[in-house]
Amino acid sequence: MTERRALLVRTAPALLVILLGAASLLPLDDQLRLESGDASIVERWSAQLDGLPAQPDVLVGFDPDLGTYAEVRPTVRVMLADLLNRDARLAFVSLTPEGRALALAELERFERIGANPTRLADLGYLPGAEAALVSLARELPPAIEENALARRLAGEGLAEVEAILVVGGNDLGPRSWVEQVAPRIGDVPMLAIAPVILLPEIRPYLATGQLDALVATPRDGAAYRESVDLGGFERLAPTGEPSAAAVLVGLVVALLVLGSALGGRLARPGTPAAAREPR
Amino acid sequence: MSGFFGDDTAGMVATWVAALVTIVVLGGLLGERRLFGWTQHLLAGLATGFLALLAVTEVVGPRVVEPLAADPGGRLELWLGLALVGTAAGAPWLPRTVAIVPLAIIIGALAAFALGGAVIGTLLPQLAAVVLVPEESPAAMVAGGAMAVVSALVLFGFIHGMPRGRIGSSAASLGRWLLLAGIGGWLGYLLFSRLLLLLDRIGFLLGDWLGIGR
Repeated sequence: MTERRALLVRTAPALLVILLGAASLLPLDDQLRLESGDASIVERWSAQLDGLPAQPDVLVGFDPDLGTYAEVRPTVRVMLADLLNRDARLAFVSLTPEGRALALAELERFERIGANPTRLADLGYLPGAEAALVSLARELPPAIEENALARRLAGEGLAEVEAILVVGGNDLGPRSWVEQVAPRIGDVPMLAIAPVILLPEIRPYLATGQLDALVATPRDGAAYRESVDLGGFERLAPTGEPSAAAVLVGLVVALLVLGSALGGRLARPGTPAAAREPR
Repeated sequence: MSGFFGDDTAGMVATWVAALVTIVVLGGLLGERRLFGWTQHLLAGLATGFLALLAVTEVVGPRVVEPLAADPGGRLELWLGLALVGTAAGAPWLPRTVAIVPLAIIIGALAAFALGGAVIGTLLPQLAAVVLVPEESPAAMVAGGAMAVVSALVLFGFIHGMPRGRIGSSAASLGRWLLLAGIGGWLGYLLFSRLLLLLDRIGFLLGDWLGIGR
């Protein structure tokens, strides 16, 4: 490898970060869109949310992981704001420590922005993963701070809530809820938001109806966010969307890297690995 | 904008700390491994501290100590749990047949929940969903048939040790390519999502920290 090439390889990550930063400042979000063209995802969500009774109690199983939460965060915030806009009451419970940390951060954000605290209940952290899910189906845990919603839900099982929203992550996601909770409760709608890494394992649950609605790709999340009218709850929504221009630039760079790797391989199909080593 | 920090002094300090640590982590891309290693230790330490705090404030305190203090004689399951914890902690000094009991319970319970859930919640409903019945719509029949063919081809691609012939080899090859196409599609989504994660950090530095584009 020549010295110049070595320098390029060494500085490439920094150049990429600078390039993406510059691209994210370009005012092209009116021309470039992230949304999926598949309207069925949004229609399915809307149908489920429209079908909820007035002032529904929604249990939010909040277990995203620190690594991938940024991917689903805008969708999660819009979804929570959408539910509050529909007069829902939200009870948060976490079964992983990372999920609990992020739930605390989101609840604190709600408090800072001025969300109505009587519509929120913090049921805290429940250890035990699958075993805890089974116990949740039987009885919801007492809240960390008591309020009317927490008192009403105390001692009730999951069958008493009107819907379950699962915000999943790498450690515990919608699959565990479908396997452990769904068979133990009645027809409580189960909605899920998950990072794309979980897509292959949870997509089949959507096809069978075990999950009533699912957002598991950034494009579907963008489509859902675009479709929602939050009314007076706009302040609870995230203030910035991912820059479509930066995404485009990043994907072009990725394609160039993949293309150069593939091109190099195709150009030397029969060359043994030893012969390709630099001298 | 991450929205995690407010505009007060505490929020400003948190934003600065998060920005500096983000820069150090990004510096790892340029080969600055020493500081990057330090941030890994910081993350591990913070996670351990948070876990300990969580265990004390939300598990041991409210779910073990308080119920036992309120009704010592009425919560036998908690005493049993404490005994198992004590047994696990004292395992190096106890006979093997006693020390293995907590571990056996943990493994048995995990296996039972995982296996039971997988069968009842995944295997049976998914199998039921792929059974084609004549009442299905033509589109569903075609989709189901296509799924069965694709599944068969992919599975056939991994059967080894039997003579295939020309058609069999072609089918196996097609199955492997179908599998690769599926994985490729998923990896495309993964690339997209990883790019969003990087952009989130860049957006945090530009927007939350430097105030550019707010």
